[in-house]
Amino acid sequence: MTRDIAVLTEDLTKFYGSHRGIEGLNLEVRAGEVLGFLGPNGAGKTTTIRLLLDFLRPTRGNATILGRDPRRDKAALHRQIGYLPGELSFPGRDTAAGLLRFLGDARGGVAWSRVTDLAGRLELDLSRPVRAMSKGNKQKVGLVQAFMHEPALLILDEPTSGLDPLMQQEFLGMVRDARVGGQTVFMSSHVLAEVQQSADRVAIIRDGRLAAVEQVESLGRRAIRTVEIHFDDPVDADEFSGLPGVSDVVVSGPILRCTVDGRLDPLVKAAARHEVVDLLSAEPDLEETFLSYYYRAEGARDDTRAHA
Amino acid sequence: MTLALTRKTWRDDRRAVVGWAAGVAAFTGIYTGFYTQFQGAAELKQDALPKGMLDFLGIADMLSPAGYLQATVFSLIGPLLVLMCAVLLAARTIARPEEEGGMELLLANPISRVAFAGQRLAAAGAALTAVAAMPGAVLLILVPAIGMDIPLSRVVAAAVGLVALAWCFAGIAFLTGAATGRRGHVLAVTGVIAVATYMANALGGMVDGLGWLRYLSPFYYFIGTDPLQTGWHPGALLLLVAVAAVTTTAGVILFDRRDVGV
Repeated sequence: MTRDIAVLTEDLTKFYGSHRGIEGLNLEVRAGEVLGFLGPNGAGKTTTIRLLLDFLRPTRGNATILGRDPRRDKAALHRQIGYLPGELSFPGRDTAAGLLRFLGDARGGVAWSRVTDLAGRLELDLSRPVRAMSKGNKQKVGLVQAFMHEPALLILDEPTSGLDPLMQQEFLGMVRDARVGGQTVFMSSHVLAEVQQSADRVAIIRDGRLAAVEQVESLGRRAIRTVEIHFDDPVDADEFSGLPGVSDVVVSGPILRCTVDGRLDPLVKAAARHEVVDLLSAEPDLEETFLSYYYRAEGARDDTRAHA
Repeated sequence: MTLALTRKTWRDDRRAVVGWAAGVAAFTGIYTGFYTQFQGAAELKQDALPKGMLDFLGIADMLSPAGYLQATVFSLIGPLLVLMCAVLLAARTIARPEEEGGMELLLANPISRVAFAGQRLAAAGAALTAVAAMPGAVLLILVPAIGMDIPLSRVVAAAVGLVALAWCFAGIAFLTGAATGRRGHVLAVTGVIAVATYMANALGGMVDGLGWLRYLSPFYYFIGTDPLQTGWHPGALLLLVAVAAVTTTAGVILFDRRDVGV
């Protein structure tokens, strides 16, 4: 097994009874890259990650991590892996410092300055009991323990969940630093934007199957967003449905809802002809729009590339 | 790295273990301390209760020191407390963190599954042994102190039997938890086995023709051999330890083979 590949799965398959977790997953994470593992909730991201960590055993196929077997070489492998669970829960009543000391000792010792550096970066108070912490602070403890022993491979399941936007940026900085330091990062997410910012490549999983693996650039800087405009008076849908980049127009009385692909300018100009009370714009959840758009048909993929 | 998980397990279980140890010690101390005041009342109780009831409760006679200790510390409530603690600690090794979600971080430690189970077992086993040894420790002080007329070696034999009984049921509880990862299963399976085998020992001792039932019961090998009257029965104790060893080994093997945290 070549050392250029950090994670290799071949026909990796997991069934829970007759329920399919993942099926026929062939995935390659190159050493030193950041791979975003994208997919809607329930697509099989966590199942895949648990198979890589040997918490689950495959129904079929196999995985190779850092050239080793996840089960046979678990002890040696887990020393080189930093793992952030998706459903983070901490055993015991320890303070963050106590818990991190234990995890550091268990991994053969971690320089305490490394822990305090990471905690400072994430503005985490180590003296508080983990059990009493908010979800965001627990997530920070989870991140510190994943990064603190500078593992060759970081496996992060939904790493930004519960973090506020500022801390999400800090986390993305940590991922960039890890990449510079030669570490490999395999992180799952259902948010396209954070993966776009940090990953080299993106693997997309849907319904337990690998839908695509793409360079981030080829995804394009797609700016699909949902826009909701509240007018003073009722408006006519026809006025907006023909605008470039605007689709899914729904008008109910004075409220317009639509999806905009690309620049907002045409829509804003059209809206300006009326009295605008409020304008809301949100990046849609990957689950709702991105996947369905990207994989509606093969033609849609070419369309996406053309945009890039 | 060495035994970090064992130390962490102790730290997490500390409150529970201290509480159980104090409770079991207090129970033993209070009952034993009553011995001198109890003599008159014991006679009444002995006469008041029908013979069958006394046999069922494992109370041969309450007048001699041996009979008194057997009736109080070693018959029902003593084993009950110790077994509850055994089930609780055994359930905490695997089933509880697996249900509560803390398992993933623990299992991500760089040790094999077998070593993981071993470290958890070492911590739980030591803690349970300390709790189960409490009656013996208290009696070693109290029996001479209040002048109960019973050889200490027999008291130790019974007390060691209690530890062996605790190991036996902890093994069964661990096996259930390691194989299923469910706390409810641990409580149900171990509870049913404990009640059934307690009944088997009691009924086997009372009903003619059912004597063979006793040999199926861990309680028989613990107290049915009458260690307070007859001293050591190494074979019986070893049998309890063997059950613990076999169930524990089976639990580790099954845990090593299954999916965790599904």
